[in-house]
Amino acid sequence: MSGLLEGVRRGETVLEARGITKRFPGGVIANDHIDFEVKAGEVHAVLGENGAGKTTLMNILFGILQPDEGEIYIRGRRVEFKSPLDAIKLGIGMVHQHRKLIPAHTVLENIILGHPRTEKIPNMKRAEGEVKELCRKYGFEIDLNARVWQLSAGEQQLVEILKALYRGAKLLIFDEPTSVLTPLETEEFLKSLRTMATSELAIIPFITHKLPEVLRVSDRITILRRGKVVKRLKREEATMEALAEYMVGREVLFRVKKPEVKMGEEVLRVENLSALSDRGILALKGVSFSIREGEIFGIAGVSGNGQHELAEVLAGLRKAEGGRIVFQGRDITRASVLERLKMGIGYIPPERVEASIGGFSLVENIAMNLWYEEEFSKRGLLNYRKIREYAEKVISEFDVVAPSVEAKAAHLSGGNLQKLILARIIPRTMRLLIANLPTHGLDVSATEFVRNELMACKKEGMGILLISEDLDEVLQMSDRIAPIYEGRFVSIVPAEKARKESIGAMMAGAPSEEP
Amino acid sequence: MRLPRLKLERVLVLTGRDAVKISAASIIVAFVIFSIFLLLEGADAIEAYRNIFSFAFNPRLGLVTTIHRSMFLLLVTLAFILPLKTGFWNVGVQGQFYLGTVGAFAVAYALGNLPAGVLIPLMMVAASLFGAGYGAIAGFLKEKWGVNEVVLTIMLNNIAFWLIYCLVIGGPWMGISESESRSLPASAMAPTIGKIPFTVPLAIALSVIFYFLLTKSSIGYQIRCYGSNPSAAKYAGMNPLKLLIFVTAIGGAIAGLSAYHMWAGDPSFGRIPRPEGYMGIGDFTFWGIIVGLVCLLNPIAAIPASIFIGSLREGGAILVRRLGLTFGLDNVFVGILFLTFVAFQFFHRYKIIRVKKRR
Repeated sequence: MSGLLEGVRRGETVLEARGITKRFPGGVIANDHIDFEVKAGEVHAVLGENGAGKTTLMNILFGILQPDEGEIYIRGRRVEFKSPLDAIKLGIGMVHQHRKLIPAHTVLENIILGHPRTEKIPNMKRAEGEVKELCRKYGFEIDLNARVWQLSAGEQQLVEILKALYRGAKLLIFDEPTSVLTPLETEEFLKSLRTMATSELAIIPFITHKLPEVLRVSDRITILRRGKVVKRLKREEATMEALAEYMVGREVLFRVKKPEVKMGEEVLRVENLSALSDRGILALKGVSFSIREGEIFGIAGVSGNGQHELAEVLAGLRKAEGGRIVFQGRDITRASVLERLKMGIGYIPPERVEASIGGFSLVENIAMNLWYEEEFSKRGLLNYRKIREYAEKVISEFDVVAPSVEAKAAHLSGGNLQKLILARIIPRTMRLLIANLPTHGLDVSATEFVRNELMACKKEGMGILLISEDLDEVLQMSDRIAPIYEGRFVSIVPAEKARKESIGAMMAGAPSEEP
Repeated sequence: MRLPRLKLERVLVLTGRDAVKISAASIIVAFVIFSIFLLLEGADAIEAYRNIFSFAFNPRLGLVTTIHRSMFLLLVTLAFILPLKTGFWNVGVQGQFYLGTVGAFAVAYALGNLPAGVLIPLMMVAASLFGAGYGAIAGFLKEKWGVNEVVLTIMLNNIAFWLIYCLVIGGPWMGISESESRSLPASAMAPTIGKIPFTVPLAIALSVIFYFLLTKSSIGYQIRCYGSNPSAAKYAGMNPLKLLIFVTAIGGAIAGLSAYHMWAGDPSFGRIPRPEGYMGIGDFTFWGIIVGLVCLLNPIAAIPASIFIGSLREGGAILVRRLGLTFGLDNVFVGILFLTFVAFQFFHRYKIIRVKKRR
């Protein structure tokens, strides 16, 4: 069956998936009867928000996961992938978002590694000739003898592509191909994608955001939402607005009552703040805004656009590259995390497991926001009796379900763990709460609980910065909304003027509509 | 016979009780495996074990040395445990012990005329400070620039070894014999209770203090937080650099102090012995790693664990001397113990359960 895709011609249907369905334990339907096809010489993009089912579909097409229902056809022949090896044999290649290369080896060595024809003593001369021929064919330029660690992210991606092509791939799957590339590299990549597509190759990029890129390179676009195909479009029919609208949908799951709160004085003022990402790239490129008492300032954006860096700079976990943070009239740009905690600035981190300690009891977890308070710590000793009393109080207030306060945090469910973190942080937060993806991955009831808690904070007069990838959440909760794209606020829109479609388009790279 | 069907299950949280059971089981298995070696050597295993412990704990034979060496082991174990609570592998206990040696002897030689009541505390303070400084260098470099602490501390060990070498061999501290140092003034030797130096109860007291430091104090809480989950500790406003320097300095201080205990607590020393000698003691500090792991980083459990391993080391020599078994067999036992212990760590993460067949 191998080599099924040899000699495929432009316009011929290469892969067809019918009724692909995948359920995960816990009743989540990640893929719900998805139909999808791609032709040779075509770029068929799959678009969808986080959690729309893209990754599942991609893994099924590459044989990493097996579907519960549905069939896959390659050139009309029914196939079943038991593992990615089967998919590779049939001529499917995958370019991962996270590179799977060996940094200390040369480009050529990486390309031939694991190829069935590579023998114990590889014939490097022959391999080099063959890879060079591939480069000529697709117009790639790369030094085959360079070490992979010396290459830029874009060049490393090229190595991944060559590796797949060298294995005879006629169908290439890309997982978020431009997410780690610089703008210049993205430009190069998009060009080479077009070159590849003009030959017999079929290409499926899976993309979360970056709608402008999708519009530029795709021939067809399939949009997923909540595991279903919501729309299939040709490029000519697509506009940025329409794509965003289909991606985020219009329905609203449930509503939280927004209390009428009179806004007080300014709590936080941020001036032209910028910061580097973990990889040392400027991720936050100068944002300015302010938050008043009782106000929820929402940041809407797809992950990786600088909002995480913004939250960390405000919490003191990351250094500001430039700009100023003023809290209640005081410059805190250089204040440590501890100083900020003592001032009453609370931070709810996006990763619950990273923010808590599984091997610690609930009491010890609660103590993480108490140990520095004089009330609970005298002469270097912690007052565990007082801490326990306090913990019992907040744990029942925040409705954490656990056998006892001495139970280990590792045994809590996701929703309960988030409640524990809120119980730790919110009562110690006086003025400003930074909530970074506070409902991410929670079930409906826990989500509602968190949102109501945030509203309660608002009522008490706290200023709240809400960062979320869930556009509905941002729209429902916030008083003002800032869509963020590539490290900048596209605009700052008051809630009453915010339209979901336009915010969705702005967070995907469309320019602000305002003059 | 039908074999029962077994299945592995993840252990989410290890209870202290289970941990003790697992450690005990690993020790028993080590005894069983070593028995095979003894049998291969043609020795009676039970007889050999009886000999080891009866020698080590006989008041007229090994007891005093067993206690002295066990407490040395306890101190170096504490020096290893505390930094590891933050995830720092203090393989540099040896170097910190050497630096403590330098500190203690420098004070004794310079201020030898002072009365014991002043000289001894000064020697102990100097030993601790020298060890603390040496430890903190590694802690600082690791946290500030991410230098690998194992490589770093091993290199520091080497430097410290040669520092003593230069001071003693042909150096200012050279004694009558060219390869040994001058002896300590009598007033520098540790006062004893019976034959037991006062540093023995001190070591026990330090274990208890460490226990309270870790469980009751604010800094101990921060150390445990950081060691369990560094990112969570940062969210909670803890300062990793401060914590790293604290644990490595305190660990180093205890390692430095162990130098006073070793050289001034055993009347048969009282000087820095020839290089093979002080290097042998330096290598002995590595046993603190074994003890630390066997007692699961618990400073109280380290007391019996140190005495157990210390008595094995003292008594183990009898296998060679009295029973005429192959040289080095006593070290084989400690090696086996370490291996079984590491193998049994598997049970910290998984438990084996029997699958009941459904009918």
